[in-house]
Amino acid sequence: MAESNNQDLVTLTVDGMTTSVPQGTLVIEAARQVGVMIPHFCYHPKLTPDANCRMCLVEIEKLPRLQTSCSTKVAEGMVVKSNVPHVDEARKSVLEFILANHPLDCPVCDQGGRCDLQDFSHQYTPTTSRFTELKRVFPKEYFSPLIETQMNRCVQCMRCVRYCDQVMDVKALAPSGRGTLTEIKHFSAHELDCEFCGGCVQICPVGAITSRLSMYDFRPWMLKRTDTICTYCGDGCHITIQKKQDELIEVNSTQGVGRNNGDLCARGFFGYHASVHPDRIMHPLIKQQDGRFAQATWEEALELVAEKFQGIKTAFGGNAFGGLVTSRCTNEELYLFQKFMRGVLGSNRVDSSARFGHVNGTLPLLSVQGTHRWTATFEDIVDADALLLIGTNITETNPITGLKVKQAVKQGHAILVTMESLLPARGTISNITLLATHHLPVRPDHYHIAIVGLIKSVLDNGLVDPGLETRAPEFFRAIKAAIDSTSWAHIEEVSGVSREVFSQSAHAFSSSTRGMIIVGQGVLRSPRGAEMVTNLLDFLILTGRHGQPGCGLCPLAEENNDQGAIEMGATAEFLPGPIAIGHHDTRQALSKLWEVDLPQEPASSLMEMFRDAQAGQVKAMYIVGENPVESLPQTGKIKEALESLEFLVCQELFLTETAQLADVVLPACSYVEKDGTFTNTEGMVQPVRQAIDPIGESRPDWEIFSALSVVMDQPMEYGEARDIFKEIRSVIPGYGLVGPVATRPTPKVDVVQQYLQEGFAHGLATRYVCTQDQPASDTPFLLASTQSLFHSGKFSTRSKGLLQIQSSGAIMLNPSDAKKLGIASGDSVCVSNAHGAVTTIARVLNRIPPDVACFPEHFDQDIRCLFELHIDKESHVPYSKLTWVRLERVEKGDV
Amino acid sequence: MLAEKYQDHIADLLARYPVKRSALLPLLNLAQKEEGYVSESAMKEIAEILDLTPPQVYETATFYTMFNMNPIGKFHVQICKSLMCGLVGSDPLIQWVQQRLGVGPGQTTSDRLFTLSVVECLGSCGTGPMMQVNDDYYERLSEERVGRIFDELKETGNSSLKSGPFMVPEPISR
Amino acid sequence: MPTHEKILLKNMDQPGYTGSLKDYEAVGGYQALRRVMKELAPADLIDIVKQSGLRGRGGAGFPTGVKWSFIPKDYTGPKYLCCNADESEPGTFKDRQLMERDPHQVLEGIAIACQAIGAETAYIYIRGEFRLGAKILEHAIDEARQARYLGENVLSSGVPIQVYVHAGAGAYICGEETALLESLEGKRGMPRVKPPFPATHGLYQKPTVVNNVETLANLPHIVTRGADWFASIGSPPKSTGTRIFCLSGHVKQPGNYEVPMGITFRELIYEHAGGMRGEKPLKAFIPGGASASFLTEAHLDVKLDFESVAQAGSMLGSGGVTVMEEGTSMVWAALRLMEFFYHESCGKCTPCREGSSWLVQVLQRIVDRRGRMEDLQVLADLCQNIVGRTVCAFGDAEIAPIVGTLQYWRNEYEDLIRESTAISTTSKELPVLALNS
Ligand SMILES: Cc1cc2nc3c(=O)[nH]c(=O)nc-3n(C[C@H](O)[C@H](O)[C@H](O)COP(=O)(O)O)c2cc1C
Ligand code: SF4
Ligand code: FES
Repeated sequence: MAESNNQDLVTLTVDGMTTSVPQGTLVIEAARQVGVMIPHFCYHPKLTPDANCRMCLVEIEKLPRLQTSCSTKVAEGMVVKSNVPHVDEARKSVLEFILANHPLDCPVCDQGGRCDLQDFSHQYTPTTSRFTELKRVFPKEYFSPLIETQMNRCVQCMRCVRYCDQVMDVKALAPSGRGTLTEIKHFSAHELDCEFCGGCVQICPVGAITSRLSMYDFRPWMLKRTDTICTYCGDGCHITIQKKQDELIEVNSTQGVGRNNGDLCARGFFGYHASVHPDRIMHPLIKQQDGRFAQATWEEALELVAEKFQGIKTAFGGNAFGGLVTSRCTNEELYLFQKFMRGVLGSNRVDSSARFGHVNGTLPLLSVQGTHRWTATFEDIVDADALLLIGTNITETNPITGLKVKQAVKQGHAILVTMESLLPARGTISNITLLATHHLPVRPDHYHIAIVGLIKSVLDNGLVDPGLETRAPEFFRAIKAAIDSTSWAHIEEVSGVSREVFSQSAHAFSSSTRGMIIVGQGVLRSPRGAEMVTNLLDFLILTGRHGQPGCGLCPLAEENNDQGAIEMGATAEFLPGPIAIGHHDTRQALSKLWEVDLPQEPASSLMEMFRDAQAGQVKAMYIVGENPVESLPQTGKIKEALESLEFLVCQELFLTETAQLADVVLPACSYVEKDGTFTNTEGMVQPVRQAIDPIGESRPDWEIFSALSVVMDQPMEYGEARDIFKEIRSVIPGYGLVGPVATRPTPKVDVVQQYLQEGFAHGLATRYVCTQDQPASDTPFLLASTQSLFHSGKFSTRSKGLLQIQSSGAIMLNPSDAKKLGIASGDSVCVSNAHGAVTTIARVLNRIPPDVACFPEHFDQDIRCLFELHIDKESHVPYSKLTWVRLERVEKGDV
Repeated sequence: MLAEKYQDHIADLLARYPVKRSALLPLLNLAQKEEGYVSESAMKEIAEILDLTPPQVYETATFYTMFNMNPIGKFHVQICKSLMCGLVGSDPLIQWVQQRLGVGPGQTTSDRLFTLSVVECLGSCGTGPMMQVNDDYYERLSEERVGRIFDELKETGNSSLKSGPFMVPEPISR
Repeated sequence: MPTHEKILLKNMDQPGYTGSLKDYEAVGGYQALRRVMKELAPADLIDIVKQSGLRGRGGAGFPTGVKWSFIPKDYTGPKYLCCNADESEPGTFKDRQLMERDPHQVLEGIAIACQAIGAETAYIYIRGEFRLGAKILEHAIDEARQARYLGENVLSSGVPIQVYVHAGAGAYICGEETALLESLEGKRGMPRVKPPFPATHGLYQKPTVVNNVETLANLPHIVTRGADWFASIGSPPKSTGTRIFCLSGHVKQPGNYEVPMGITFRELIYEHAGGMRGEKPLKAFIPGGASASFLTEAHLDVKLDFESVAQAGSMLGSGGVTVMEEGTSMVWAALRLMEFFYHESCGKCTPCREGSSWLVQVLQRIVDRRGRMEDLQVLADLCQNIVGRTVCAFGDAEIAPIVGTLQYWRNEYEDLIRESTAISTTSKELPVLALNS
């Protein structure tokens, strides 16, 4: 937000109190600042004023009529009166009008007790009404499985409609009809089909739009609230969990709080039941001779694990252990896990799900600029004048970061350049490419060459930062030479984007002063991810944006604590910090603090662990909350690797495919049952709080690590999560100075200097080389495993709310391809390649590019067999998101 | 499909406005002319043409009373009942028309020829009672004239009694 | 009958005048535009119109030249003119005649206004029901384009002026200028909150002028015959020129009469419109469209100019004069108009939306002999609670019929209510309770 300086202040008087506020402030906000709360329905700070409810009328001296304070801007010397009889009487009359057609069904209304209308009525009106006419009655219509409308209660403030349009850019709500008979609908009699962000439910000041998930289950005053952080993506939204006794009733968010500032997505708003799914593991389980699990006590289970671990450690040494932890864990848990692996078991084989892609962002950032974090914040996105989005269907992966982008474009008029495979077609889910000023449609396997095209445009069009060539001649020449080896003809042919469009986009970006690059899973989770990110950093340097205020390259974290996993040292190459694993001083300091000798063996990451397990070098694994058997393709032979272990411990919420292979399964708590912190994609450390008691006998992961260490006689004892956090802060000084705004680290000058002098040369021989994967003629479709807005990994597929929106996967393809193949939405389609064949249902969607098919990863159990596994030589990231297939119709679907 | 049938007309409409959505009312008009009402498939198609969501088309369509959201008869008889026509006898005329057609306001005759609507002021207050049938105005109505109009419409699909370029009082012939 | 020189209806009064381009040119048409394109700087043109004293004929009577001068001078982007041809005010039917009978007069006015404000595009927002008018205008635009009065390069001046007809689709509120703009943008026709005003943030948020058809039709004449000539007609200095009054209701010869402002209602009704249609004397009349409060025979000598009618407690408005004879029920008349307003309220503002539905129901009850004496206070209070508290002037307009009739014919309300005594005055019998129980 722009800071205002003194010249922009306007002084006015509200009810006798004088105050100074920035020019452009609305009277209603100025009044709030001096503690005068003006009643209102239609006003909402996020929306442009519509001044339709007329509740906020005030007297302004020198103006003839009462004015709506929600739409009137302050002026110098303005005298506002809200406490005069005249104004009071106007408010009463507006309420009388609203109540005329409002049903008095407060006793059965879920909004009762937190309803603006109820509150204002209490304050302003007599209990009897002069209205003795017919109230309008709308026939009840089915609206959607998750959202209920009760249009008789609607006060027509249009907040829902305006929110859906202005903030979400979804435009799914339609006020239909005119005058008093206007009602909020979707499209004709069709049930609502939208992003299900829950925004309309939250923003409705009365009970006209409510959630069906908890309908009639509660009265607001029965609810106990817990403020915590959502677990479904790296955006790290602040959510308030409302429970009645130990039953989860609903989730909401508060405007002005958290990085999401009151906005949520479907996952956050409707996904909260995953934690209380009946399939949760209730007790520790020990595998019997016959291969079945038997319920055990914590003592039995922990003792067994301790005994086995001790035995293996004595026989084979620490290096025989592998540890894998999910980035869904809290920082405290991630920290403790790596401490346990390194300190107690003595193994350097530690990794987390950040390996699946997030490291591809972190590693280049660290080596080019010395900080692995975003050098910008969400606020900077909003204030940016140019945004370059690459390989991110941001709305579906990181919806709230997406909202910041929308705000920047729609309200701040930022230039938006999108390089993305999805086409700019309108659908029921908003599509960020539709807001783009420049869009580069690029197939999911062509981001690399398209990025090269962009950089080439910068060089060829003289858009390079003027001082750069003198400042860093070697860098400049080397990059230029590397780029020159790829011709425009080749770039245009492969990427399908014309040179013209590249240069327009490059021009647009380089003419900005606050330019940011946001990189998504399309880059981070695909082959050459780290190279692409490095090249994009080169782009930022070349355009002179690197290191400038409000500028930076920002990789999007897919999982809620990918960032934390790296910072807590829960990846192979890093100690907490993140500090390189071999860093001498840090090792010493940690040894001292932990009172152990750190293992000397080289670190090994996820795929190396599996490889070594199969080779018999890794004897035991400790897998926490990850399900590699499921999430990696069969060609990776993960199951075989795990089966060859001597001992496998899984710590889980559910008995996953991986957990089923375990010798001991330890039941862990989900995020709603524990305390701790998560670090979001922009590097903001935020408190996670326990909302309900642990399900069954489950325990927070950190508690289990701690208990196990005690049983193993190398105690890491902590009373509560906060104690671990204290230790983290002693290891990483100042970690998580929790504030409302994320810090903006700046690139380290010496590191950048080093990069410009010689660091750039590392990998330069390959990173600009454009290769091209040709489809075999019999498998012409590029199948991409993609993310959906309605799910997060497979955890959310246990949420009854989200399953009502999306309960299965479908192969999505473009209308023209569908036509060619004679496929319609709903048909059964056979998807096949050399690895196998799978039959699934087709969905034809305008936004899917030609020759591409997409399938949501959350439901990919069957289709995963078609994918191959590639491992990045540099970053060791396993890629399995793209493959080539053919499609054939098997059977017509029922329409 | 409007887009194919009226390709040039639609292109001409779109060329008139710097912002596509402005062509929404003209396109809804076109759709109604084509099918007699604004169908869901037409709204979806218009949404696509104008790069809107179907709800955006729907919210606009339902605001304007001239758009029929359901199929109607071949002739849409809209009789004005506002004060000025009321003063010169629109009420009894409406009664008469209801009897004559055998349907009430909002209803369509069983032969699907006539749909009756009773509407607010159509801007013909000096020449009431009046009605509009499809695109044409009929003014200074009497039971007898309305009867003739209905008969002619039934027979030929047209009526000689429709109003020409409007001028009241008529030019004084000198 | 005193004869006055007609200005706007003059051409069409000529026998055989068809309104074609040929006919229009034959009576000197488009000479004013020639002059404007060749000799007059926009600033001078605006001055002339200011001096003529021309005030808007759409209802509010805002001085046209002054409105134009609000368009930012140094603005270089696109600007727009919108011709308000929505003509939906009950009792008004003059614009229809101007468009159907002499379309080029309107087009010439549009072209002149475009030149004055520097607009290259004008939209004629015509109410959807006027299919014939739209067709005639479209044809006239084609003619004018071919003759280069409109188009890419008007009269070889290098200036483009494009005019398009844009049909509405049934919504009175789209006559309100900002609702008109919303509608033109393809949205629901809901008035915008002002400020900002259309002059700076109008169509597509660009500087825009909205002028009524009749207002624009005056322009060629002002240009040709001069500001002083125009300013000498009517009731200077504040109400200059002629106006077309639309006579409807119980007069002998309803229709459009163009007279200089400042004549009396008596003259208009009894001399021009031929007096009452039958034996019954005049009881009431509406002086300026449905939004203007009713007046009585006692007001017959009020002058037809903006100030005099306002002084009499009503407004000159759109020029629709509806006459009612003795025997007409004023409560019924108020109900009829209230039904209209209820039907047409866009629904944006609470007081207008809920008030219109409440008022219409109370009036209906009274007319149905189910009224109560307290209803009169409710009616008066509700009107008081609507006026001045809405986004657009519709709110002020919708209460006019009730305020006026309550003021002059309260006894009629009371009589109807007295006839209701058979019915219990407790609310028990009212349908709302039946619904709830
Ligand atoms: C509810 C309402 C309806 C209106 N309807 C019309 C109309 O049908 N035609 C018109 O010219 N002006 C109408 N107006 C007035 C316009 O808002 C606007 O003042 C006018 O078009 C300006 O043109 P003028 O300055 O030439 O009069 C209406 C105003 C209101 C508040
Ligand atoms: S006053 Fe009535 S018509 Fe005008 S904006 Fe408000 S609700 Fe709409
Ligand atoms: S809050 Fe100002 S009008 Fe509704």
